[in-house]
Amino acid sequence: MPDKGSVASAPDFSTVASGPVRSRAEVPEREGPASVPPGNPTVTALWEQFPDGVLRNRVCAGDEDVVYIDPERVTEILGWLHETAGQQYDHLADVTAVDYGGGRPIEVVYQLWSIPHRAALRVKCELPLDALEIDSVTGIWVGADWLEREVYDLFGVTFQGHPDLRRILMPENYAEGHPLRKDFPLRGRFSRAEQTRRALTQDPEDYYMPGEIGERTPQVVGSGADGGDDAAGSGAGVGTEGGDDGL
Amino acid sequence: MGVDKPGVLGAGTPAFLTTRLDFVVNWARRNSLWPMPFGTACCAIEMMASAASNFDLARFGMERMSFSPRQADVLICAGRVPYKLAPVLRRIWDQMMQPKWCISMGACASSGGVFDVYSMVQGIDTIVPVDVYIPGCPPRPEGLIYGLMMVQEKIRGESLTRHGELRAEDPLAVGRPRADDQEVSDLTGPFGNSTQQNQVSGLVDTGAVGRPEDRLP
Amino acid sequence: MASSTVEYAVGRNPEMGPAGTPVPSPLEPFDAPEPELGSQTMLVNVGPQHPATHGVLRLVVELDGETVVSVVPRLGYLHSSFEKLGEYRTWNQVVTLTDRMDYLAPLIYNCAYVMAVEKLMGIEVTERCKVARVICMEMDRIFSHLLWLGTWSIDVGAFTPFLYAFQQREKVYKLHEALTGARITTSATRIGGMMADFPEGWTRGVREFADNLPATLDEIDTLLTCNAIHIGRTQGIGAISAEEAVNHGLTGANLRASGVPYDVRKDRPYYDYESYDFEVPIGCHGDCYDRYLVRMEEMRQSVRLLHQALDRLPGGPMDVEDPRISLPSKTDCMSDMESMIHHFKLITEGIPAPAEDCWFSVEGSKGELGMYVVGDGGPKPVRWRIRPPSFVNLSAIPKLAEGHLMADLIMINASLDIVLGEIDR
Repeated sequence: MPDKGSVASAPDFSTVASGPVRSRAEVPEREGPASVPPGNPTVTALWEQFPDGVLRNRVCAGDEDVVYIDPERVTEILGWLHETAGQQYDHLADVTAVDYGGGRPIEVVYQLWSIPHRAALRVKCELPLDALEIDSVTGIWVGADWLEREVYDLFGVTFQGHPDLRRILMPENYAEGHPLRKDFPLRGRFSRAEQTRRALTQDPEDYYMPGEIGERTPQVVGSGADGGDDAAGSGAGVGTEGGDDGL
Repeated sequence: MGVDKPGVLGAGTPAFLTTRLDFVVNWARRNSLWPMPFGTACCAIEMMASAASNFDLARFGMERMSFSPRQADVLICAGRVPYKLAPVLRRIWDQMMQPKWCISMGACASSGGVFDVYSMVQGIDTIVPVDVYIPGCPPRPEGLIYGLMMVQEKIRGESLTRHGELRAEDPLAVGRPRADDQEVSDLTGPFGNSTQQNQVSGLVDTGAVGRPEDRLP
Repeated sequence: MASSTVEYAVGRNPEMGPAGTPVPSPLEPFDAPEPELGSQTMLVNVGPQHPATHGVLRLVVELDGETVVSVVPRLGYLHSSFEKLGEYRTWNQVVTLTDRMDYLAPLIYNCAYVMAVEKLMGIEVTERCKVARVICMEMDRIFSHLLWLGTWSIDVGAFTPFLYAFQQREKVYKLHEALTGARITTSATRIGGMMADFPEGWTRGVREFADNLPATLDEIDTLLTCNAIHIGRTQGIGAISAEEAVNHGLTGANLRASGVPYDVRKDRPYYDYESYDFEVPIGCHGDCYDRYLVRMEEMRQSVRLLHQALDRLPGGPMDVEDPRISLPSKTDCMSDMESMIHHFKLITEGIPAPAEDCWFSVEGSKGELGMYVVGDGGPKPVRWRIRPPSFVNLSAIPKLAEGHLMADLIMINASLDIVLGEIDR
């Protein structure tokens, strides 16, 4: 991965953030169950249930409860939130990540919502840049599948146990890195000419990966990049790769 | 035999006309343009609006949207084209039969628009040759119709005797970028202020890597 | 929540029984045991440039005969890196990006984004602005559903509803244009208010549109709802149970068609939606036909909401009266030095946001549209994340399409109501 720059260049925080607005460090954070606001029973229950799994919690934007948990125990804690009768966070609204730049850890953010109890919770895991690995929650919510793939694609966070962890938005052979990292330049790392050349040399038919269909090796029929109604005319025609041995 | 029947200009006139072959061919071509709608984003919605009753593209002989490139005459690239889509666009263009024309509809297709980013083609003229650029974000349906009429104007000036010159295609160039490296960097150089800005204003200056020729080692 | 059941008179269809149950067609396939021939599955590629994929979606379909064995969607053909681009823009400049993401309902995106940022900054907008945004969002919900209806009917083989729907859409285009000057890319909202107050007579135009729309919906209802072909191609196709729909993260009409009454407007009300009188339609089968019915009913409910919002639209200022957020008027800028400097400073420096993060979700036309914004004390976002409803909805398509025919896959894809600008972002 070509994203080593963010670790190497630690920024100088003394010269910036001198405006009238609170900086991140000044935001009060509650460090223990004693200071948990009475408003959110889930946070209290989490502190009681996982005293060493919950790292800290805070309230953002007025009324949004954020809980920082140990990345090692993400499936355990989120599974508990999903299954336990009083919690039932059955709707995983979002999985995303935030890179704050400057070598700080990347946060993986889970946005939960409980349809029966009408309660929201945001769970965050902080991953240091040299260990961007976390357990996948696809076993709890199937809907996390693509959301985790997107985080993997754009941030380079590996989700262990994910059934199909591949790039989802960028091309499979994208060589410039993970675009939403802070050290990734807006226009990409390669020159425009190089990007254009790379784009056009990629073969659309390379994307047929029978492996992703399963163990079978199916017969490839239409493979045009231009759609089904002109599939036969687009070059590959009917191929019989795979043969009979796969069946 | 043809004398008794009324001719094209009424009774008594001969049932034939003399004209230039170029004129007839161009007349036929320009009044039955079949567009290949390569619609990706917002502009595609305006293209659909152009085809609907209020604007009625059919008045100009273009009601038959040809979703198959083999039968299409004019490629309307409506919307932004990422690099991932570029080979698809190029392949569709290569699949279209000569004579063929290309319209770049909207700011994103013509120049990348606001998307001066890592994933976007900065103007499809680096990929395929473009005949008419339609400005707008997105262009109004009137704009698209005007662009198609400009293609018609262009066809009016073409000649069969110059067919080889106007419609020459190098078979080796199929699937390649239309522009060479120098031309691509000329066409896609940063402009405006978007790329001159820093990423995050508050805490960290992330220092975007300088353009344009930086490469990974 | 008060609930009522609407019975559709599907019995009047000649192919439907009196109780509304489909009568088996006499052309049922001959049910004989198939000889064991030994067959191979084949891969068929649909898209990325295909009229039935509603954009540049690409589906790699594995077929056994005509039956779908598995579907692998390939995304990213419209990846425009909105989120990265947003990090280089000030909070107000990002508004112009939001409507290019979902070009079917731009005003909902405009509103959702600024609502998230306003919550992050702790800004309470004026009463007039709240009602104005409700009008904008409900209008665009109809706007988006009309396009879905048009393309849906094309996919089912009917072209007329497309033309009907686009005639009504053209009226919304005109309203957009009168409000903002653009037909699709509206960029109508600003932090703390709107780009401008409603122009003269604009609310009258919205009222007229809301008055005329139900007639068109009735016409399309007549064409589609009891149509035997339509019913045959959609009933029982792509069904998903309530538990699975929740687990897959489906939201919006796709979730409600499965019988889960989750609507952000009711469950997490914003902008006094709890005080409006409207109902949330839910289905009971979770198939394509129920999704169609739910969306048709949602348009009628949006018409109700439009009328109520227009009735209660209060006077007063549209923007918050806070010089740190709102720009001075153009007249002041042109005649007054201090206002000019004020304008200049706000534009060049931007509005600072606290170093916090904020999640705000609204009920978009496609589902729950969440905006997650992270500030760092400066005038630009550290992270601007969109929870794309159709991205998550589309991720259920392999599950929905399995075992159905290839032609049903097209209907399932249409019933999910996706927009690729938002999926690929």
